[in-house]
Amino acid sequence: MSIFNDLKEAVTRNIGRVMNAGAQYSDARWYEDDSSEMLMLLDGNLEGNDTTVESGLGVRVLYGGAWGFAAISQTADIDTCFDRAMANAISASKLVKVKLDMGKKPGHTGSYTSPFKIDPIDVSLSDKVDFLKSVDDSLTEDWILRRMIRVQMQRMIIHFWSSEGTYTQKKLINTFAHMTAMALDKDKQMQRRSKTLYCETEGTRGWEMLTNPALWSGHADRVKTELKEVLTAPELEYGKRSVILLPGQGHLQVHETIGHPLELDRILGYELSYAGGSFVNLDSFGKLKYGSDKLTASAYGSITNSPGSFGFDAEGTPERDYLLIDKGILVNCLTSRAMISEANQRAGREVFTESGGASRSTAFYRAPIDRMTNVNILPGDDGTLEDIISTTEDGIIVDNPTSWSIGSNREHFHFGCEIAWEVKNGRITRVLRNPSYQGHTVEFYNNLTAVGDESTWVVEQVENCGKGEPNQVMELGHGLPVVKFDNVISGERK
Amino acid sequence: MNEKTKSMITEARDMAQNRGIMASINYHRENSHLMRIGNNSVSLNTSEELTRIDIEVIQGRKKGTHTHLGEIDSVDELFNTILKVSEKAGKSAEMDFEPVLTVIEANVETEAQYDEALDNLNPSVKEQVYSAIFKNVGEDYNYSGSWSSGSTETFSVTTANKNSAWHRLTDQQFMCVLKHPEKMWELASWQTGTKAGDVTAEVTINEFKSILPTYENREGFGVEPGNYKVVLGSQAIGELIGMTVWIGCAGRMWEMKMGWTADKNIGDNILHPSVTVLDDPTSDQIFSEPLSDSGMLTRTQTMIDKGRFAGLLYDRNTASKYGKKATPNAGCLVMRPGDGPSDFLEAVRDIDRVLYIPAIHYMNMPNMSKGIFTGSSRFSAVLVEKGKIVSPIFSSRITDQFENIFGNVLAISSETVSVNTSNTYGRRAPSAVSVPTWMLIDDVKITDCADSF
Ligand SMILES: [Zn+2]
Repeated sequence: MSIFNDLKEAVTRNIGRVMNAGAQYSDARWYEDDSSEMLMLLDGNLEGNDTTVESGLGVRVLYGGAWGFAAISQTADIDTCFDRAMANAISASKLVKVKLDMGKKPGHTGSYTSPFKIDPIDVSLSDKVDFLKSVDDSLTEDWILRRMIRVQMQRMIIHFWSSEGTYTQKKLINTFAHMTAMALDKDKQMQRRSKTLYCETEGTRGWEMLTNPALWSGHADRVKTELKEVLTAPELEYGKRSVILLPGQGHLQVHETIGHPLELDRILGYELSYAGGSFVNLDSFGKLKYGSDKLTASAYGSITNSPGSFGFDAEGTPERDYLLIDKGILVNCLTSRAMISEANQRAGREVFTESGGASRSTAFYRAPIDRMTNVNILPGDDGTLEDIISTTEDGIIVDNPTSWSIGSNREHFHFGCEIAWEVKNGRITRVLRNPSYQGHTVEFYNNLTAVGDESTWVVEQVENCGKGEPNQVMELGHGLPVVKFDNVISGERK
Repeated sequence: MNEKTKSMITEARDMAQNRGIMASINYHRENSHLMRIGNNSVSLNTSEELTRIDIEVIQGRKKGTHTHLGEIDSVDELFNTILKVSEKAGKSAEMDFEPVLTVIEANVETEAQYDEALDNLNPSVKEQVYSAIFKNVGEDYNYSGSWSSGSTETFSVTTANKNSAWHRLTDQQFMCVLKHPEKMWELASWQTGTKAGDVTAEVTINEFKSILPTYENREGFGVEPGNYKVVLGSQAIGELIGMTVWIGCAGRMWEMKMGWTADKNIGDNILHPSVTVLDDPTSDQIFSEPLSDSGMLTRTQTMIDKGRFAGLLYDRNTASKYGKKATPNAGCLVMRPGDGPSDFLEAVRDIDRVLYIPAIHYMNMPNMSKGIFTGSSRFSAVLVEKGKIVSPIFSSRITDQFENIFGNVLAISSETVSVNTSNTYGRRAPSAVSVPTWMLIDDVKITDCADSF
């Protein structure tokens, strides 16, 4: 442990140094190990066999109400890294209209380890390849033109120190997987059907999750059957109808039109030059009728097995379970300490009482920003998928996105999906091809007319949410049931 | 990078050669700085100094790759990492084609686009430029933005021969967004360059000042869904032509029958005769790239020649898999200008109604086979009647096909501009396209419109 002790000594000494030089706050994250492995079989060929190992230090200094950040991969230069972060903060502080403030918190210590049985990075390559080949075999048919199996595994060991005396240590494990089968339809258009590895709320997320057939590999036959149906199916006609989202599609709907518009940095205008703004403002909390009474959404949601569950955020704040939308009314959002301090200051009242523990960064070389943890729709009382279908007169059920495009303030959206099942008078009538739907966010959620029960609930994983400048990819989760929306424009106008 | 690191890498390459290992070693060092602006303040000011080493090892029909971001200080440590990747490649699965090792065609040492002043740009320069913009355009508006600058240095060797390639360049990407705090519309200004001084406050101040009166004095216009004549600006053209060519002219996409050109052949007329697109490393509006992924010296290639499907771009592995020759790809997309006036308003003065959409937000592709894309207007979009700007338009969605956009061309500007297409996900990797400043297109499908900007 001498590397750890040397590093700890240098980091705490430097935190003291910048605080003595007038900093309001400082923290450092040392990624002792950030290992990832990506394997990709394309038409049976292992074209992706890639590992990455990263380690280094990221330092934040808050000085004069402004953030400075610096990162180095050569940990011999820790003093230089703090000097740079401090110099960056000092130069930033010359142009500050609203001074940022972390608020005061007592220091604490803690540690967290993702629930896992088998560290996926440690499994031998031959075992991994054998398993993926077997999944690929189960997807293989003469009429299938393209098969893609892609697995991404992560292991991170992260230490965090702050000027408040907080120290946390995390070991995070993630396993992601996708299978996709593609074939040309009757019009020579490439169609696809896919399945993404999802979580059991309380399961474990190591290699054992990947090899549990119920969560991924066991879906190959269904993927093939449904793809075959799509190939000869008629196109979805343009029109207004009910749209039932299975979790494979619903999670992205929630991600893009509840998760992103409810990131507080975005609401405050700190993402305008890249990702965009939000139709939500500080006056919306407690007032905005975001959706129908059936819409209740939570952050984190006490889901133990998810890439959005991580014990402590990048400011050391423990993860916290709370409601974002309560029976249709917007009540809270995804927050970090400096952002709630600024929001309350701007609003002239206490809009937010405490950080939502949503400060996250993708790597040691990126400064933390407000991110989704798990953003969930809570189960409702409209029964099973079959119950929801039985009460639908004219609609479609859709699954898995092929495309997503959202307005810059998240006020409107357009989604393309892999497959639709037509529903007429309470039953499924046929499969439809090239489904898409669009809407305006608040109007759409106010047309939420059915929310499935616990039996329809799953936790979907997202491994590639993009945000921030410098850009950052983040992994997170969405727990949600089957949901139905009425009067949705779907299909493309001719 | 210092000579010690260079010799460490070449020595490790030699050791691998002696052991008969087929390996490539790529060193990537970035010195990155980014100032982010939010709410008229510097919201983040960052420096990252990162060194990566990428290793690829090929064993017959098997391969493995590894990237190390962190400390590698000795030849032994580097060679041991090569051995580990070699072991990994050995345990990999055989493919039905032979992966190809990069063969560096000639020794390369180039830093034509390197500027020490930009590499070491003091953050206070950025703060002063933003301050000048706020002061001159008006402090009552809400400003945000980002300004990324830095250097990228790469050094590549492979066991195929004794050649090496060293490349160093600087780049910067500037953006400023002006938002009206009550009316909520947004204007944007972009700048790019390779040298300190390429980005100035004046350019952005003038851009904002020229368009502000229209926005200040007119209400927003809601566009009814339907077909419109549309002028796309350079940011929109840059993103669209990139997608059109990536989906349509990448050898991998074509061989896999994934894209909108899957049933087209070289020689077919696929776009309007005024559209010509090249991969051109000689353009001064792009960031240089001396070597292709297969190690060839990059050369100009034509993908679309006066609307005709003229060529596909093959990377080394796609070429091997499909029995084709790798092409000397630079990834430097250039769309040739037309003969239209420099000011688009002049080009549309006899047209009753035109939508001007300079940039498209959040573009995606619901159907690659048909080349259908969708995205929405955002910054500085306006309704133009008879060559006069009438009002700003609310956030409007375009859902259309590449073949329509680059097929129904009515006029193209005679001027081109560099559009910086770099992102900062992962490592620093500057990229830009050279495109006409505007393009007038008939019959563009607007499929939705919000009641806000
Ligand atoms: Zn996202």
